[in-house]
Amino acid sequence: MIRTMITATNTMGQLQEHLATIGNNLANVSTHGYKARESRFNELLYQQFNNDKLDRAQRQTPVGIRYGVGARIAQTQTKEKQGSLQSTGRDLDVSFTKERQYFNILMPQGDNGATRTVYSRQGNFYISPLENGSGMLVNADGYPVANAAGQSILVPNVDQVKDFTIDNNGQFRVNYANGNELAGANFALGVTEFKKPQFLEHVSGTYFGLPANMAQLGYAENEILTPLNGANRGQIGLQNRALEMSNVDMSKEMTDMIETQRSYQFNARAVTMGDQMLGLINGIR
Amino acid sequence: MFKGFYTVATGMIAQQRRTELLTNNLSNVNTPGFKTDQSTIRSFPDMLLSEIGGARIPTQEGLNLHYARPIGTLNTGVYMQETIPNHEQGQVFETNMPTDIALMDTTMPVNQQTGQAGTILFRLQNAGAGQGETYTRNGNFTLDGHGYLVNPQGLYVLSEQGQRIQLQSDDFQISQDGFVYENNQQISRIGISYSANPDLLIKQGDGLFRTNNNQALPSAYTQNGVAFTMQQSYLERSNVDSGRAMTDLMTAYRAFEANQKILQAYDRSMEKAVNEIGKV
Repeated sequence: MIRTMITATNTMGQLQEHLATIGNNLANVSTHGYKARESRFNELLYQQFNNDKLDRAQRQTPVGIRYGVGARIAQTQTKEKQGSLQSTGRDLDVSFTKERQYFNILMPQGDNGATRTVYSRQGNFYISPLENGSGMLVNADGYPVANAAGQSILVPNVDQVKDFTIDNNGQFRVNYANGNELAGANFALGVTEFKKPQFLEHVSGTYFGLPANMAQLGYAENEILTPLNGANRGQIGLQNRALEMSNVDMSKEMTDMIETQRSYQFNARAVTMGDQMLGLINGIR
Repeated sequence: MFKGFYTVATGMIAQQRRTELLTNNLSNVNTPGFKTDQSTIRSFPDMLLSEIGGARIPTQEGLNLHYARPIGTLNTGVYMQETIPNHEQGQVFETNMPTDIALMDTTMPVNQQTGQAGTILFRLQNAGAGQGETYTRNGNFTLDGHGYLVNPQGLYVLSEQGQRIQLQSDDFQISQDGFVYENNQQISRIGISYSANPDLLIKQGDGLFRTNNNQALPSAYTQNGVAFTMQQSYLERSNVDSGRAMTDLMTAYRAFEANQKILQAYDRSMEKAVNEIGKV
């Protein structure tokens, strides 16, 4: 079998994966809080052939010839670059102004009411009315937004609320029509800063989470992320009445897409040539 | 038997090897830090052909005189002798990832023997204890869970002193001369090795190079005449010229085809010898 074809098909499969990542970025070009993902290639194995045992001719390189068998995706990384802010004028919209800071979201897991803390930068929040006249702060998917203590945020007597504000350090305030104000520690939005963003697992959409086998791998939670609580809350950078746009650079993604498609064509052409060479071999007689 | 029959067969094999090599180059058009492989094709060692003859001298006893008159040299084929990576600098492009580093050659001393410039490479610790160092030009790194700077396969990036580089978070800066700063404190310096004769480096796969004798390369910072810079959040592109690779691929293909045609011609000659010469 001609290795040309193996080399080219190996690479074509990986180029397809690369194209899928680009496609996902393009699809999320208007998803608030989305972080672009980028895959990078690496070489595959090299094989050495010692095909000149009897020739003692001068040479530049060490003995034998070496050639590779194509390329593969080495890693896919999340780009933490800040997205641009879009002003919405809505009370419950909030955007981060600093990189690598995330809201804590309580994502339901299973049917027994268990939750998993996931992290997202998407800041369009809503009040979900509960049976007893109070309301819960939730995100666009209806998952509760956690406070600094990891609990959901409940707002009593929702129908009498005048407006909400969220200050630059993540303090959530409820202003009632009668002039009362609700704030305090239970209303401080939980914010986490990622120290090693590439370690986190991309759960879905804009959500990131710690991998389930983290302890087995021998890593501790505090190595990966820092909850911004207490004195650290001063580091939080938030902007109320605005949303962070996706940090996908559309023109860059389109360029990458064209480049990838052309690479795919080049490799497909190499397969055709390999096929024609096999045809020539068959046509010897 | 026709000698050329086997000669064209070796030609076909050599051209097939070339297409395989060129396809690997084409496949790695998007691989950061990839160095194009070039090939040399060499003919087999020459053979000396002689005419063996004899003459009869008309004496009483009948004397035979034997002689061997040299005709010339002939070789019986070609083979791919070497694959030589071209260590020329690739273009750099911005990635916005703090863990990406591009190496940029400024001046490299030229080796007197080969006429080739030296090259600089990142130092990586080989997997497994005591396995020595391996080198790469691909600056696409990441941080592992403990904060060590590693390559995508998890091999540790080494500092100038040969230590691993540990960071608190991916909020760090690398200066153009390789110093790593975190929270305005100098942590380490990225280890860069210098190879005076890069032809002796062996490609290992995953973009890694090793030395021929497994000896560690010297640091590039202390070499005379070696000047380079580093750029954080940038990567070096593959130095494959896809247009050229495709052209070479087509040339190799046609050379393969030409060899195949000659092979067919030989086959027809043999056909004639077998079926027509002996016809009564």
